[in-house]
Formats: sequence, C-alpha cells, structure tokens
Amino acid sequence: MRLMRASEIVKRPVVTMRGEDVAQVKDIVYAAAGGAVAGFTLAGRGMFAGPLKLGLTWRAVAALGAEAVMITDESVFEPTEAVLSDAASGRAGGNVLGSQVLTDAGVDLGKVIDVIVAVGDTVGGQCDVVGYEIEASAALGTKGTKLLIPLPDTIAASASHLVVPASAQGFVAHDLAGFGAAVLAFRAQLEGGG
Amino acid sequence: MRFSEALGRQVVSTSTAETVGVVDEFVVDPRRRAVVALSLKKTDGGDTLLWTDIAAFGSDAVTVTSADKIVAAAPAIIALSGKDHRLVGRRVLTSSGDDIGTVDDVEFDADTGAITSLLLAAGDVAGARLVGVGSYAVVVRAK
Repeated sequence: MRLMRASEIVKRPVVTMRGEDVAQVKDIVYAAAGGAVAGFTLAGRGMFAGPLKLGLTWRAVAALGAEAVMITDESVFEPTEAVLSDAASGRAGGNVLGSQVLTDAGVDLGKVIDVIVAVGDTVGGQCDVVGYEIEASAALGTKGTKLLIPLPDTIAASASHLVVPASAQGFVAHDLAGFGAAVLAFRAQLEGGG
Repeated sequence: MRFSEALGRQVVSTSTAETVGVVDEFVVDPRRRAVVALSLKKTDGGDTLLWTDIAAFGSDAVTVTSADKIVAAAPAIIALSGKDHRLVGRRVLTSSGDDIGTVDDVEFDADTGAITSLLLAAGDVAGARLVGVGSYAVVVRAK
C-alpha cells in the first residue's frame, strides 16, 4: 500500500507507456460514497494548457506513481461527463476541504486540509481514501498542528461535517511514513471490536 | 559497447577504404529494444545507415561495403529520430509512474544492435525492460 496526498496528485502529468505526457490531472473525482477515487478530470500540458473535455476513470489508470499517472495510451480517455457520472454529488471526497471532523462522541478534531489516498500494488486495485490531513483542534493536542487521521471504509458526511469513530483519535500519525500502519491497525480494530 | 564510446566513430567503406561518414546518433526502436539505424554526419549525401546495412560494428570503426548504403532517412526512421526519441540524458519513469533518474549511457550489443542495458546513477536497467521513448520520458517496466 502506498499513500499519497490528493493535493500532490493534482497537476501530476498523465504519461503513456510510449513516454508522451498527454495531459495532467486537473481534479480528483471521488466515487459516490467518497471512499475511493473514481477518476480524474484533465487539463492540457504546456502550450495546450486548459481544461480538456476528456477524463480518466480509475480503472483506465495503469499506475499512479510519485511522478506520473501512467496509462497505456490516449484511447483510454473518456468524455469528462462519463467520469463525473461515476462521482460524488456534494458528498465526502470532493468538497471535504475545510470541513470539520467530529468524532461520534462529539469531539471536534479539526479541519480537513488534505485527503490521503492509498494505491494498492496490484493493477486495477482500488484507489482508496484512507484518511484526512487535518489542522488539529485543541482536543488533539497542540492546536493548529497538522495531523493525519485514519478513516473507516465508509463515513457519514455532510457539507460541513464528517463524523468518524472516536477511536480514530488513538491512531493519528504525524507523517505518511507511519500512517499506513495506523490505517490498517484502526480498520482492524473497527472490524474486530465493531 | 556503449553509445558514448561509439559516437564520433568513423564509418569506412570496405570497397574504397574511404571514410564515408561519422556516427552522430543512434536510432532506437523501443518496441524492438534495438538500434535500428545510425544517423551519420560528414557524409556525401544521405544521413542514415540502417543497422542491417552495417558490415561490422568494430571497436575502431563501423564498416560498410559501399558508400551507397548511406541513404536518406525513411519515414519510419524519421519517426524514431530527433530529441524526443533520444535515450541519453532523458528522464526515466517506471511503468508504475516513478522517476528513477536519468539515462547516463546505453550499452548495446555490437553484433545485433540489441539494447542490453540503460545505465543510470541508481543502477543499470536491463534493456528488456524498455517500454517506450517519448517526449516526456523513457518508460521502463517496473520490477
């Protein structure tokens, strides 16, 4: 499992296996439940910069790496509307930035400043939303520090709030290096303890 | 043999013993993972020597049976030439989308033209892993 901040994926080049950068990521499109990446809207590169009418669904992505989104060739692009139709309508994912994260016990953990996604090693695997980077509230220690908070598979979300199990508080991490283990431990605990 | 050693090598005609050109660039077909032609300079006309028209790629010179083996580049060769298709000095991406460095040099088989490895600061990449060479990067299969 490999973790990435959603903000780092934006503007990443889309490169074919022939080594051509044919587009770049404009925005990330989240699946309806907000728990996974459904695809990307695209913008042109260089002198062709500007939004494209074509998008990329996650299943058409060969690999998402640190430097580039890899695709076989341009034939995998689909009309942007087709990619967006798979997507969220105002639910968790796209519009979570700035939302307040509340525990189910009613404690404010902070505000979302980034979304953390995990990419599996296997081609065709999901691009799961596994956590949020938040600007911590006083409840989590030093107010204003950036922390990573793991998410369960599905969460309740509205336009302004995201509700996570109170136990998530015990699995916060300070950097991506330690966060993968925290997500796995948190999800294992939810499955085990209910 | 390495590209860096072979560039600038003289191309000599075995029928006249004259120098008929100098190796200027390698034309690589990434699908065949091989050098398919040499671009030459200092010729009397034409700038392309197909790999199949080389008599021998020796340690001191490239030999051809006659100067007429040097021809104008066919469209298929032009499509594989130019800076977008060069290997040396280019960014290398794995098929998983990770940057692993820059191609410093290329090792090839002087008998067959096959690319045997790409030399990077981070280590050699087997020629068999070459997937594509485009304007943005050289793509190699992830391990």
